[in-house]
Amino acid sequence: MNRSTNTKRIPITWLDAAILAALAGVIGYVAFKALTGLNYHWNWEIIPQFLLRFDEPAQSWKPGLLTLGLLTTIRLSLWAGILALLLGTVMGLFRVSPSLFKRQVASAYVGLIRNTPPLVLIFVFYFFIGDQIMTLLRVEDAIYGLSDTALEALSWLFGPMNRFPRFLSALITLALFEAAYIAEIVRAGIESVDKGQWEAAASMGMTRFQTMVHIVLPQAMQRMLPALAGQFISTIKDSAIVSVISIEELTFQAQQLMTTTYRSFEIWTTVLGMYFVLTFLCSLAVRKLELTMRRD
Amino acid sequence: MKPIRIFVAVTLFCLLVLPMTGCSQAPQETQKAEAADTKVSQLETILQRGVIKVGFDTFKPWAMKDKNGDYIGFEIEVAKRLAEDMGVKAEFVPTKWSGIIPALLTGKFDIIIGGMSITPQRNLKVNFSVPYEFSGMSLTASRKLAGDRTRIADFNTPDTTIAVRLGTTAAEAAKNFLPKAKILFFDEESQTIQELLNERVHALVASNPLPFNLAKEYPDQLYLPVKEDLTQEPISFAVRKGDPDFLNWLNNWVRFTSSKGWLQNRYEYWFYTNEWEDQIQ
Repeated sequence: MNRSTNTKRIPITWLDAAILAALAGVIGYVAFKALTGLNYHWNWEIIPQFLLRFDEPAQSWKPGLLTLGLLTTIRLSLWAGILALLLGTVMGLFRVSPSLFKRQVASAYVGLIRNTPPLVLIFVFYFFIGDQIMTLLRVEDAIYGLSDTALEALSWLFGPMNRFPRFLSALITLALFEAAYIAEIVRAGIESVDKGQWEAAASMGMTRFQTMVHIVLPQAMQRMLPALAGQFISTIKDSAIVSVISIEELTFQAQQLMTTTYRSFEIWTTVLGMYFVLTFLCSLAVRKLELTMRRD
Repeated sequence: MKPIRIFVAVTLFCLLVLPMTGCSQAPQETQKAEAADTKVSQLETILQRGVIKVGFDTFKPWAMKDKNGDYIGFEIEVAKRLAEDMGVKAEFVPTKWSGIIPALLTGKFDIIIGGMSITPQRNLKVNFSVPYEFSGMSLTASRKLAGDRTRIADFNTPDTTIAVRLGTTAAEAAKNFLPKAKILFFDEESQTIQELLNERVHALVASNPLPFNLAKEYPDQLYLPVKEDLTQEPISFAVRKGDPDFLNWLNNWVRFTSSKGWLQNRYEYWFYTNEWEDQIQ
């Protein structure tokens, strides 16, 4: 991670060049085989309209199906990320709490979530638990009672409102899942702060709460940020799983398109590219963040 | 972990999760609470809401997304017409086929209008209306792997592999007609087609008109070994059990619409023409 920056530039040797050439050859060969060996009529012309299409009646450009899916993915990841951060921080603090009960609750939660496959969790939550919560919250009634302008505004934030209960189920599941990992990051961050800091604070007469807020958390935060940002990228990737409960995010839209157009390879390739661009941009932002943190 | 901690964790988990699973046997719906007391039909609920929620999955040409992201297809037209005759709006809830019955039972939507064939096993869980269409299963095969086979019996051998979509009656038909063959299940129709074109399976079994259209699109690679359909299956609306009023309305809607010839006309349009193909890609 933080190797000393004064290493000399190593010239590329013949061996490196040979290895690189061999790798390029293998990749090229596989790509060539994939393009020619499959019994498949490639047709890339159908893809652009699914990214951006010209709407004849409205005479304007509209996002295509895949772009709409990508927007849903971004919305889902963003809200789930925020929710997971809140829940994860609380659980992380519980993990290092002096109270046995709180520690038990947090360990039970983290243990349960981290040792179950997300796919199974999503099904269980969607079919059994989601309903209970939605009914308790009266989400449906609230939505049917809203005015059109309110619906318009909310759909910017959460996508089509008639699908909101589902979206919420998916969001909560994803957040619950990611929060378990965030809780561990928070715990590790707090535990990484030197014991001496606690002792120093205690000797100044600070309470545990004051020490946490003023001394420990600011230092821990700095160490946690890169890991948290990395977890957010994971959230984006994990969001593909909710396609199984028919949330119309990128993966689900892609599957629907394949069923109607039978153009599996072009669509999967495009979707792969879209996910990569999205997460790679996030990775770049994380790297920038890390550099800034280190400079401070 | 000490035993006591494990015990506490397990207890907590039970306290949290079991009540939820225990009381979620009944289908959930916001109005369900009152429904339980007075046995209000789902029909009333829909009329009050002003929206009928329709569960379906993408099957060409039953239901598809067009370029604008709107749903089109035979089932979609049927659902829209049904909603119109009811005086409500149709709201479409796309749901993966393999989980569509549990989704209906847990109240994610009011009705399945998605080309669902009646089977006794499904009928144990849901109620079916009288059929509003009949759809056949057929089989298309790879010329290279199965070029000389012209009867169904030729495919019923241990060295044959068949691709079908999971949870469909095509999967049932494949098991019944080809018990000796090896059957591979896929989640999406596009995957079964790809397997067939890549010559990893001998044939695929699916609802018409897919096998026929595939053979037309890839004449050098695929052919139709059998001209007639394997099955002729009744297709119906599926609703939750214990609601005779809703079912009665649906049955009579089918009878009424059939007597006008509207259903037959729409079926012809979606299954025997391809005038709608340019709306998709």
